[in-house]
Amino acid sequence: MKKMIKCTINNYPVEVEEGTTIIQAFKKLEQEIAHYCWHPGLSIAGVCRLCMVEIEGNNKLQIACNTVVQDGMVITNQSQKVKDTVRWGLEFHLINHPLDCPICDQAGECVLQEQYMKFGAYQPLMSEDKVKKRKVVDLGSKIVLDTERCILCARCTRFTDEISKTKELGIFNRGDRSEIGIFKNKPLENDYALNTVDICPVGALTSKKFRFQQRVWYLKKAPSVCTGCSTGCNIDVYYNEEGLWRIRPRHNSSINQYWMCDKGRETFKHVNPSGRLKSSFRHTAEQTEKMTTFQALQTLKLDSKKIGLVLTGSYTCEEYDAFLDFFQLHSIYHWKNNPKNFEDYDNFLIRGDKNPNTKGLLESINKRQLKLEDCTQLEQNISHLDLLIVCAPENHKLYPCLEEKINLFLKSKELVWISPHSHTLLQKPINTVWTIPSKTYFEKTGTFINHHGTRQKIKAVASIVDSARSLEEIIHILKTGQTDLTQIASIRDKMKTNYFMEQKGSL
Amino acid sequence: MFKLSPEGIEFVKKEMVRYETKLSAVIPCLYRVQDENEGWISPECVAYLSRLMDLGESEIYEVLTFYTMFNQKPVKPLHVQVCCNVSCAMQGSRKILEELKKQNNSNVTLSAVECLGSCDTAPVLQINREPYMEKVSLEQITKTLQERTSS
Repeated sequence: MKKMIKCTINNYPVEVEEGTTIIQAFKKLEQEIAHYCWHPGLSIAGVCRLCMVEIEGNNKLQIACNTVVQDGMVITNQSQKVKDTVRWGLEFHLINHPLDCPICDQAGECVLQEQYMKFGAYQPLMSEDKVKKRKVVDLGSKIVLDTERCILCARCTRFTDEISKTKELGIFNRGDRSEIGIFKNKPLENDYALNTVDICPVGALTSKKFRFQQRVWYLKKAPSVCTGCSTGCNIDVYYNEEGLWRIRPRHNSSINQYWMCDKGRETFKHVNPSGRLKSSFRHTAEQTEKMTTFQALQTLKLDSKKIGLVLTGSYTCEEYDAFLDFFQLHSIYHWKNNPKNFEDYDNFLIRGDKNPNTKGLLESINKRQLKLEDCTQLEQNISHLDLLIVCAPENHKLYPCLEEKINLFLKSKELVWISPHSHTLLQKPINTVWTIPSKTYFEKTGTFINHHGTRQKIKAVASIVDSARSLEEIIHILKTGQTDLTQIASIRDKMKTNYFMEQKGSL
Repeated sequence: MFKLSPEGIEFVKKEMVRYETKLSAVIPCLYRVQDENEGWISPECVAYLSRLMDLGESEIYEVLTFYTMFNQKPVKPLHVQVCCNVSCAMQGSRKILEELKKQNNSNVTLSAVECLGSCDTAPVLQINREPYMEKVSLEQITKTLQERTSS
């Protein structure tokens, strides 16, 4: 237990742990304070000089990020002296900043804009010309740099030094010619590079994939959990009526802190309507029959058939429980993305197990004392089965063995493929194949258990494909023969407006 | 491919353990590299030094681009470094530099450098690593350069 000390901030008394900096105390009290270079996940740089505060008894203003709270300190950032200083500090930052907000991708979430709206001088006094610097600098396959917009807060260089430890970025030259850059031919290509785009307070670093796609103030965001691997980083998903546009990390001090990997940021594409399986099908050698999911589940005859079940780690605990309780099988086949590097770990966030809920699957299996078998076992047993049900991965891209496995599954007499996506191999089978659309993490409510055993809830945000059903809903239909889905607790509390209209063309 | 001499490598190894952090040794090591690479530091030199010191290339490149005493391009036999900082600029050093540029002497490399630390005798310039020329005038430096070019 650390010693607690008292201080006063903007006339509010507050108690903080010994060693807390003034800016942390401001954040704790939710008092506004201007800052660019300070970031809770990085070391202190103290270069932007904007977080000025006045401390009683101290003649000079101090920076809040690098001053530790002392017992009895009386601190304010509301005095005229502070306001004037911040105003002039901003003015200096803007001396060489280009006025290209209309074509800057950061506009709308730019800290420079926000601060200027609050603290700005509004009457620029510079008569000197701005220093021209490099624009549209290619930093590699992911990121573009605009050195004129950069305010040299050094957040990105501290990130590559301290967090990714790859040291690609540096501040070169001096004085008003200083600029962020990379050393010749050594691009910014590490697996965590796009975090620098998140922490850049201005539009200096922008993501090649996201820039000019959307104006950020038109996007809604919803909290979720990354499904890219078993780490389970906390994320915010940004979306609008047309679909999902980007994923950014959400702070969770025990899992991902402020960061996430660049591969995880890609895990929204498979959720979007294009390429999704939009209704159920029955494929036979002769014909393909389209039907609703309800019809398909009604037509599907399960009685007195020898059933095999293949599960992946893409589904929620609730879905596994519903499925396993319904089918009452003794052994289940576990389909892993790549058994060889399943246990890989890069000592930060990326894991070789590319499923969000492998732990949850194992838990549900163990609870019922069932046997979990490898897919190699299935090769021997497949000829004895009448019907094989495959709960396929949500994101096919993460499964390099996809085609090889589909060819194996197609050997069964009858195959039920449950996934948000179909595959061309499934559409011209020798035997009967059913394809049934399932929901993605964005459309369902449930629990994921990450690699460390932390249980994390996800909530349905909106429905994207009307006919898609979660495994829980599929079991509900099979059990009761009814489509009334409001019976299931997990979806009863959601039922929101559908923001996604498949009929609508792009703008 | 650039490589330091065995003595040079020995020097770098010694400097690296002399300070609290390796980063502090970058300046003396860059001087050494510059001396052994005909007076300038090429990108290959930076890559070589980063491998030798186990530092990021950008960390060395930051130091190289900050200080004007490190040359990022090859220099001619007479490297005239004119201080263009406040005191010297007020005493006309930038004007001297402009005039010298017009003379277009093929044996001379001109560069504007940051403060040489002799503001009381401004304007100041330095040829190669020789003692400063203080309170220098355009005539004086022109004459000196002509003499030394012809000899």
